[in-house]
This record gives sequence, structure tokens and C-alpha cells, in this order.
Amino acid sequence: MDSMSDAAIGSENLVKVYKEKSSRPVLALDGLTLDVREGEIFGLLGRNGAGKTTFLRIITTLLPPTSGKASVLGLDVTRAALEVRKNICVVLQENAVELYLSVMDNLATFARFHSILRGEIERRAKRVIEQFGLGEHVNQKVIDLSGGLKRRLQVAKVFMVDKPVVFLDEATTGMDPINKRTTIEAIREEARKGRTIFLTTHILQEAEELCDSIAIIDRGQCVAKGDPQTIKSLVANILEVTLTFDPLSEAVLNELRQLDLITFAHRNNTVELCVRGGQVSLLELITKLSREHKVVHFEINSPTLEDAFIELLGRNLHPTEGASV
Amino acid sequence: MSMVLAVMYREYRIRTTSLTWTFYDLFMPLTYLLLFGIGLDKAFSGGISTQGIVLSYNTFFLAGVLSMASFGIAINTSYGFFVDRDNGIFYEFLTYPMTRGEFLVGKIVFNCVLSIVQTIITISLGAALLGIPLQPERMGLVLIGVVIGTAGWFFFLTTFALRIRRNDMFNTFINVAYFVLMFASSIFYPLDALPSWLKVAAQINPLTWHTDVLRFATVGLGALDVVMIEAAAFGVFMLVSFWFAVRTLQNAILK
Repeated sequence: MDSMSDAAIGSENLVKVYKEKSSRPVLALDGLTLDVREGEIFGLLGRNGAGKTTFLRIITTLLPPTSGKASVLGLDVTRAALEVRKNICVVLQENAVELYLSVMDNLATFARFHSILRGEIERRAKRVIEQFGLGEHVNQKVIDLSGGLKRRLQVAKVFMVDKPVVFLDEATTGMDPINKRTTIEAIREEARKGRTIFLTTHILQEAEELCDSIAIIDRGQCVAKGDPQTIKSLVANILEVTLTFDPLSEAVLNELRQLDLITFAHRNNTVELCVRGGQVSLLELITKLSREHKVVHFEINSPTLEDAFIELLGRNLHPTEGASV
Repeated sequence: MSMVLAVMYREYRIRTTSLTWTFYDLFMPLTYLLLFGIGLDKAFSGGISTQGIVLSYNTFFLAGVLSMASFGIAINTSYGFFVDRDNGIFYEFLTYPMTRGEFLVGKIVFNCVLSIVQTIITISLGAALLGIPLQPERMGLVLIGVVIGTAGWFFFLTTFALRIRRNDMFNTFINVAYFVLMFASSIFYPLDALPSWLKVAAQINPLTWHTDVLRFATVGLGALDVVMIEAAAFGVFMLVSFWFAVRTLQNAILK
């Protein structure tokens, strides 16, 4: 058995080319190799058009790959698609709810498709409704709910069933902070029970907080993978600095603009910048600035996942919608 | 089997959320028969003469109404793919633990059950209100005809519903298909007196095959050998349509 089939989710040299009659073929995945261990929370990150959704569609049997292999629990997604589907549940990026059914009926119909018995459906629905704060909407038709509630219901459905592998595509999009927190807690709880959670998100803070392991992809290729600390260590010489001057003069701004900064922003008397370089050179910079201007506050932070993301992908800041071939 | 039942359960829950849908599903053919049928029955007060037999227009039209109802159910169900796609739920379905065939079969079995109930209501109330002769001994044959017709048209239209990405394009396609297939068929009139080109067009139209089989089953009109050929042709049409529908569902899910 190879390493891919040992993994809960795996892909090897996965290639997907979209061939549309009206346009040039588009290379969405370019030899992507990934593996996700059983019971871990894995985050797939990348810019719009990087290939995340294409990968998700292939791994959930919605789309055949052009070449390469992909598997879930050792089952090939092309040759054993039905067996794969028996082991997964999926929250897609698109809203997927039964608009004309009530919240309760949405949960019940979803559970029936996953062979949950009637008595058990009621018990689980009660728990999920409480967990996701859907109690006051239980008999309401979904068409009458807000976008955030629809999304909450869509995510809640996944927790009605016990499939070993869960795919969540931008699961918390459109949710308010409290529901986002509830969802994150629920995901953690499921992972503790041994379920493998595969998620894609644009909210890097969420990925950093939640994921055991992360892969960043760009143009259908893996740019970096590992645990969040490992990813951040790839850009260890990047530091986030906040400086408050009294006052912040145009001269200071001009001086800072001349530096090789990754990001730079200022508001009132405070500047926030992201700088590449070691601790020593940074301290030299701050010392120099404080000699010439009055600095009332400064703060240095190690890089976040977002810094790493920008550093790894932001060197070519142009929109990617897949590469033409 | 449990997946087929789950699909049926879902269809049932959705259909029963609206009284309008329930009325349409159960009473629309009867309404058609009452409005359109009564009008033409009066217009052709001497009855319709075909194949050496004279029938009242309502008696002749009953099979046409049942055939149209099968086609109507198939249109509604295939149109449901667009609604599901717009709601996003369509793609989620395809990640559920069922085969594409089970998904289609679940949908069609539900609609066949619906068409059976619809047919029983139409025939029994048609007999009670319009005096259309009731032939209980042929009821089994009528129901089989209705079920096969509903399935055949559903599979046929599903292929188009899945291939055509635009809702408005599909609407146009359905309107044109409905118009051409319905009027170039034996639904409204016997084919005997039609000009030869229209007669040929009607004879190669699966809606004619289906209507003729139902007419034979409801009132015994038509030669057995011809009806057998038409039934076989419709059976082949249904199987080919099923094959195309499953294939389309497997291969053209997402671009």
C-alpha cells in the first residue's frame, strides 16, 4: 500500500484541465500531491482560482480528474466513487438547502439520505438545532431565512451524520462571529472524535486557529504544506511592527516609504508595517526612528499565517483564474 | 433501495408543501378534460369517427389527456433540476451515498406513483362527470402505460435539462418541443385524415405511440399489432433515454 492510500485523503500528481468549446483549455490543477492524515483538521488555502474548489470537486466525486490519482480512505475517487460517497459528507461553497422545506425537514431529509433511522433523526436533530441556535426557526421554511441562517443550516446538516471524512468549502462564509465560533467549536469536537476534517477557507486566522495541517496552493500546485508553525517558519524573518509617533509627520512617512516593506498602512499617529529582515536590523530601524522622532509606543509581532500567505503568494499579485495551456 | 426511498421521501415532502402543486399534480388532467374536452365534445356533437368506430370526443380525448399529463409531470420534474441547481442542492445530492441511477430512479418512481393516482382520479371522475365509459378490466394496462410514458418522457427531458445550462434556453426548448410534439401527434385528433407529411411526422412521434397505447388501453381503439409495435418502440425510446440521462448525469455534472 502506498502513502497515498494510507492517508485519509490523498492525491498524487492530480491534473485537471477544463476544456470549454468557447475558450482555451484552462489548467486548474497542475500535478497536485497532497495527503491528509486520519483524524486531523486540514486546511487548503489559496487565492481565488488557485484550484481549491476543483480539488474539492474531484475528491468528492463531482468531477473526474484529467490525470493523476485521488483517494479517500484508500478508495479511488474515480473507480470507487460510490464507496467514497458512503464515507464522506460535504458542505459546498454554493448554498445547498431545500428552500421550500422547513429547517427540521432539511435536517431530516439529509439524514435519511445517510441512512439514519427515524427515531435517531429526531434525537440528532434536537441536538444539532440546539448546537447551532436554530431553535426559533425550526418550523420556518428555509426560503424565508436570512443568508447567514441558510449557511448555518447547511453546515449543521453535516453534524447530523457520522461520516469519517467531512469536507467544508468556505463553511463559515456569511456567518456572524458567534455562529462562526459555534461552528469552529463543533468542527473541533468532531475532529476530537476521530473524524477527518478537510476545509478550504479565505479566513486565514480561522485556519491558523483550527487546522493541524495546512497546504497553500497556487495555480494548481502546492506552494507550501505542513502545520501552521512550519508554514509560518518559512517566512520567519518577517515581522509585524506597530509604531505610534507623537506626532506622525510627513517626514516619517516618507522615510518609511523608502524602506523595502511587505505591507504598510497608517492611521492617525500610528503606522503598521510588515518588514522583512532579522530582529537586529529591525531594532536598528526603530532606534533610528526614535532618535529623530518621538515614538510613544511600539510593538513587534512574529508573522501570522496571513503574513506567510501573502509572502508565499503575494510576490505575483495578479489575479489567477487557472493557467491557460 | 433505501436511497430510492430517500429520494422519494424528499420529492414527497417538497410536493406537499404547496396546495397549488397538489392540485396541479392530482387534478390538472381532469380540469383539462372538463374545460377543453367539454368544449370540443359540444363542437363535435356527432362524435369522432376513426378506424370504423364512432366515439364521443371526450372518450377519444381521455387517452390524449393522460398522455399529456405524463408529459407534464416529466416537464415539471426535469425542470426541478434547474431549481435544485439554482438552490445549490443538486451538487450536494451528487455527493450523497447513492448512484446516479438511484437518484433518477427515486425521482421517477415517485412521479410514476403520482401519475397513477392522477390517472385513477381522471378516469373515475371522467366517467362520473362526463360519462366516459369505464373499463375496469383494462385499468391495469392503462396504469402500466401511464407509468412507462412518465418514465420515458422524464428520462428524455432529463438529458436536456442537464445539458442545457440556461434556464431560459430550457424553457424555450420545452415550449417548442411541447408545441411540436403535441400537435404532430394523435392527442387531439385521429391521424386518418391528416395530410401525408403530417401523418408521417405524427407516426414517428413517441407522443403518438404513447397516446395510441393508452387509447387502446382505455377504449380499445386501434389494431393490436400496430399498438404492440408502438408499445415496443416507446419501450426502446424509454431505455435509450434512460441510458442517455444516466450518462449525462455521470459526465456533465460540473464544468
